[in-house]
Amino acid sequence: MSIATGLSGVPQLLSRPYKYLRLEWVGELSMLRVRTCVKPIQCYSLAGLTEMQRVLDDIAENPGLVRHLVLSSDVTGVFNFGGDLALFVLLVRAQDVDSLKMYGRRCIDLVWWLEHAAERGVHTTALVQGDTLGGGLESVLPFHKVIFERSAQAGFPEVLFNLFPGMGAWPLTIRKAGFAVANDMVLSGRLYTAEQLLRRSLVDLVVDDGAGEMAIFDVVRAVDPRLRGTLAALHAQRMAAPITYESLLTTVELWAETALSLTTRDLRLMERLARAQVRKVGGDEEGAVEEIKRIELDTAWGEMRSGNTGFGEERGTGLTAWGALND
Amino acid sequence: MSQFFADLVVRTDEARRAFETHPVVLDAVAKGLSVERYRTLLLELYHVVWHFNPVSAAAASRVPDSEVAVRYFLYAHMHEESGHEEWVRNDLEAIGVSRAAIEAHDASPFTRALVGYNYWAADRRDPCSALGMLYTLEVIASVYGGPFAAAIKEALLLEGERGVSFISSHAELDMEHMADLRKVLNTVRGEAARSAIVESVLVNFHHFTRIIETV
Repeated sequence: MSIATGLSGVPQLLSRPYKYLRLEWVGELSMLRVRTCVKPIQCYSLAGLTEMQRVLDDIAENPGLVRHLVLSSDVTGVFNFGGDLALFVLLVRAQDVDSLKMYGRRCIDLVWWLEHAAERGVHTTALVQGDTLGGGLESVLPFHKVIFERSAQAGFPEVLFNLFPGMGAWPLTIRKAGFAVANDMVLSGRLYTAEQLLRRSLVDLVVDDGAGEMAIFDVVRAVDPRLRGTLAALHAQRMAAPITYESLLTTVELWAETALSLTTRDLRLMERLARAQVRKVGGDEEGAVEEIKRIELDTAWGEMRSGNTGFGEERGTGLTAWGALND
Repeated sequence: MSQFFADLVVRTDEARRAFETHPVVLDAVAKGLSVERYRTLLLELYHVVWHFNPVSAAAASRVPDSEVAVRYFLYAHMHEESGHEEWVRNDLEAIGVSRAAIEAHDASPFTRALVGYNYWAADRRDPCSALGMLYTLEVIASVYGGPFAAAIKEALLLEGERGVSFISSHAELDMEHMADLRKVLNTVRGEAARSAIVESVLVNFHHFTRIIETV
């Protein structure tokens, strides 16, 4: 770690005692590396969200200090599993809509900061090196550059347990990939490979496994000499297709209301996923991604047995969708 | 005044996650337990459940009229929980532990610490602290009980609810209890009572984690 001298904000930024984040300063590029380590289950816990917001607030309070913000994960094989499923189960069972909305607001506050990073003079890059589900995928979409290592998989599985991704997935996906892709991704619950996401313009760069770290420096070094122009262009880009805080907030409120109506079966599916995440943490090869595939197959077989296949490809949670994995 | 339940969730979230992410808990939820360890866990749980209503009664007897909703909630809850230690006995018998062995079992120091703290808190700290005990046990039952029961059934090849009836049924029952508990927690107005409830949740999660750790 190299700490630039004469920059009074850097020690403050790096000296906070974070429990779920690891910060690193690369002085020559004014680059702040943030590695998340919400161990052992890498997700957006309340404490993790609070720490991330603290980092962003520190950057905002020291304008001009950070030119590049880079997010990655310290947990092997997992970028982020998204929302804290156990917390959701707790709040849904307590029928606590206020806390669900509070959780959602904390998430969109991060999205909103990243959405306006260019105005703050900060170029943002995310490196994804493993499974990225639901809120984990939503959280990388506002970044200016999104790099995936080849084996990383991502998707919005929420529809499988009767919910939807409510922290920016729709507008962020529509803006990057178009309405049809957003429709397919959110309503199918499918998982996508890095290459598939690249073809859909949700990912900017796919590199071989293990090459992500080098790719970060390639991206940052390419942008840095023309940073002011790039940031102005990115600011203008977001003005061309604006996302409002009000729309994010309204969606969060709808998400929270929808979560309250989840049934015991839906919560059981959520628990299956949570249990699968735990298995992966315990060293099993199969984790949440494999469990989602099993849930999709169960759903597909259930629909075939009941004859309820009338939604065609849009229903798409089962065998048909998996047959299209090579798209 | 803020909604206390929401405040409680935030202030105790790290303790909940510390329980949830403890390696022994992770392993138990993912893979279940051996029959020997499951027997030990139920034997410890038997003591926790046995003392649940006496602790609640001790607390109810001291709840002031300013928090009368808490007293009435404890009455109703005691009625619902009455006899549940028998469910644990039945599960223990289903997995080969005799009544004599249950009677002869000495609870671990951590179980005694948990139960002892809850009596002390109801008597000396604040009677509303019993709600912290309830919150912790209901979170554990309703959020983690279902997956844990499923893992135990798979690991021990148990049929139906045999051997897991206490954990399974509480996973279902406590879904409704959580909503009722939120409502009564939101009626608590006193700052001292609120602080005592937060402390109780932190201590109960801590001791419960230690109990499972040593099983």
